[in-house]
Amino acid sequence: MPITTTRRRLLAGSAAALAFPAFARAQGAAKPRLTAISQWSAGSDGAAITALGKKFEEKGGVWQHSPVPGFTTEMMNKLRAQIIAGDPPACSQLKGPEIAAWSKIAPTVDLDSIVAAAGYEKVVAPDLAKLHKPGGKWIALPLQIYSTNMLFLSKRGMDKAKADKIPVTWADFNELADKMKSAGMNYPLANGGTRPDDGQKFEASFAGISPVAYRAAIMNLDKKALEGPEIKAAFAQTRKIADWCDPNVGAQPYATNLKRFIDGDMGMMIQGGWAQGVLRNAGFKFDDFIIAPGPSDNGKPVFLLNADAFIFWQRKEADLQAGQMLMAQLVMDPAIQTMYSQITGSIPVRTDVDLSGEGWSDGQRRTAAALKDAVANNQAVLSLAHNMAQQNGLTAAMIDVLTEYVKNKTIKPEQAVTRLADAVEGAR
Amino acid sequence: MRERTFAPSRLLIYLVVSLVAAAYLAPLVVVVLNSLRSNEEIAQASMIGWPQQWAWNNYARAWSGFCVAETCAGIRPYMLNSALVTIPATIISTLLGAIAGYAVSLWRFRGDNWIYGIVTLGLFLPQQMRLLPWTIVLRDVGLINTLTGLVLIHTIQGLSFTTLFCRNYYVAVPHELIRAARIDGAGFFRIFWRIILPLSGPILIVTVIWQFTHIWNEFLYGVTFTTGQQQPVTAALIALSAAIADIPQHGVQSAAVIIAALPTLLIYLLGGKYFVRGLTAGAVK
Repeated sequence: MPITTTRRRLLAGSAAALAFPAFARAQGAAKPRLTAISQWSAGSDGAAITALGKKFEEKGGVWQHSPVPGFTTEMMNKLRAQIIAGDPPACSQLKGPEIAAWSKIAPTVDLDSIVAAAGYEKVVAPDLAKLHKPGGKWIALPLQIYSTNMLFLSKRGMDKAKADKIPVTWADFNELADKMKSAGMNYPLANGGTRPDDGQKFEASFAGISPVAYRAAIMNLDKKALEGPEIKAAFAQTRKIADWCDPNVGAQPYATNLKRFIDGDMGMMIQGGWAQGVLRNAGFKFDDFIIAPGPSDNGKPVFLLNADAFIFWQRKEADLQAGQMLMAQLVMDPAIQTMYSQITGSIPVRTDVDLSGEGWSDGQRRTAAALKDAVANNQAVLSLAHNMAQQNGLTAAMIDVLTEYVKNKTIKPEQAVTRLADAVEGAR
Repeated sequence: MRERTFAPSRLLIYLVVSLVAAAYLAPLVVVVLNSLRSNEEIAQASMIGWPQQWAWNNYARAWSGFCVAETCAGIRPYMLNSALVTIPATIISTLLGAIAGYAVSLWRFRGDNWIYGIVTLGLFLPQQMRLLPWTIVLRDVGLINTLTGLVLIHTIQGLSFTTLFCRNYYVAVPHELIRAARIDGAGFFRIFWRIILPLSGPILIVTVIWQFTHIWNEFLYGVTFTTGQQQPVTAALIALSAAIADIPQHGVQSAAVIIAALPTLLIYLLGGKYFVRGLTAGAVK
């Protein structure tokens, strides 16, 4: 008997020993800690998340950010590895419909009460909010917004074409491009040739022609809309845009054209708001260019939403849980969103942030105003080219068609319509 | 007399070879030139151009200045990480591959060809397909997010290549040599150390070059199975180039690429002449 007793005691003792650290942790759970994964490692993106980390530390938290350099795929590989290893980050960068897809892989944190307490839902564009609450519960929080269809105009290019009116509709845009061409510009458009860039040419055309048809076809994959007259018109407009771009750019980013754009050898560019920061960092002045909402045939701004967000993964550790709550509060905070967007050149997710003050550019003010208008008119839609409208597999299949269409000028718009519809059917 | 007949054709050969070499070297020239131009200069002129002012500080920033998120230490710590993975993995996988190749080619045993076939199957599996299985293995042995884990992966995956190379090289070794050694009483390992290894110079150099280059340049596993400060140099290079919301830092990028390529360049310069020789030695078997 004494042996059994000893054994039992030993067991009880070791159980207590095992339990003790957990107990101690629970007692001193005050210090919030956050493990985070993002692909933001360099440039203004890196600077912005570093600044966010500083704020987190100022609030008494421990900030443990591991950047995964590269593109979305690398970060997702890393995230998958961490989830399989049973060690998901407390929060990680994720965007668009991938939030819903990934939330099925591992348990996420229910943020409903903290979002409600902050009154956040009222100030977020509805389509955007929907992406972050798959199944009706908030599990992720958007951080910043870009529009992918802003129109950049070169001041010198406008002077060269003796134009002073900012185009509002696609007809205005086409007229101005023709004018620039006859003023001696071989390539009035300064867009690049990357996959997202080709996707942007198409989505800007489509959403600008009809945001309603865009929503039905691209976001909801409605078969009738995918074969409708608006999408055919969008392909025709995309062809015009492609013809006005320099084919020698190949698959390079638009940044290679910036010098020619500013010099007035190229006049316009359809690009995301991030191009503003790129132009500024390259040493160009605000006087060198104008930023306006992308062309819209009904005259009201159309906003192609691209938003970065954080998803929160369930953790048992009390310090990580406290860290998640602190992070959620920070991400929703207007002051933090202001700080973040002023570094990256985006606009805040909150539609109630005042951008009239110092630190904001006219381009950012116009973008924010466009978002407000677009939301009011139900013309804020999700970007396909930047993985907001569909999951990665479908997006990739659709962009394949778009990029081939942009580069192969023998494909007719009606053929492209069929190809896109087939690609959607095949990838579903 | 003799010189007159061969001069024109020689000239033509040199001309063609020089043209091909120029085409191959052009990208390198662009990178070297850009590594000496400031970012502003590149952005405001063009990707291709002569430096107006020599921007030597690109190299200083690349080596120890630029930031990856919160850490501003340049490429230096990541170079060390890559070395800590590449050197042991290259040595171990080459040695094991030599032993395996020797066993498969010179010691006939039941199922030897099957084993050889299965080992080389590893060559045909895409990297992405092996990512998840490796995740599970590293989790179970507790090596996730460690450099040791990467050494393990590269050693085991390298075995397919190193075994293939060494086996094809050793097939040419006369079996009589082995038989004679066995009659003299030498065993498996003694024959390997005393007879096979001294014959293996060219093929070992080939496998070392191959493995070193491959592991040094590897990105997918490096970025998935490490975290933060342990990442390999390829991850740091991508961190420097993948910023979408920023002007491409072509100057510093070019300098960093050149620094990161130096170790592999050095290996090629030292062992290059054996490379083709060793490859072709095994090619026809």
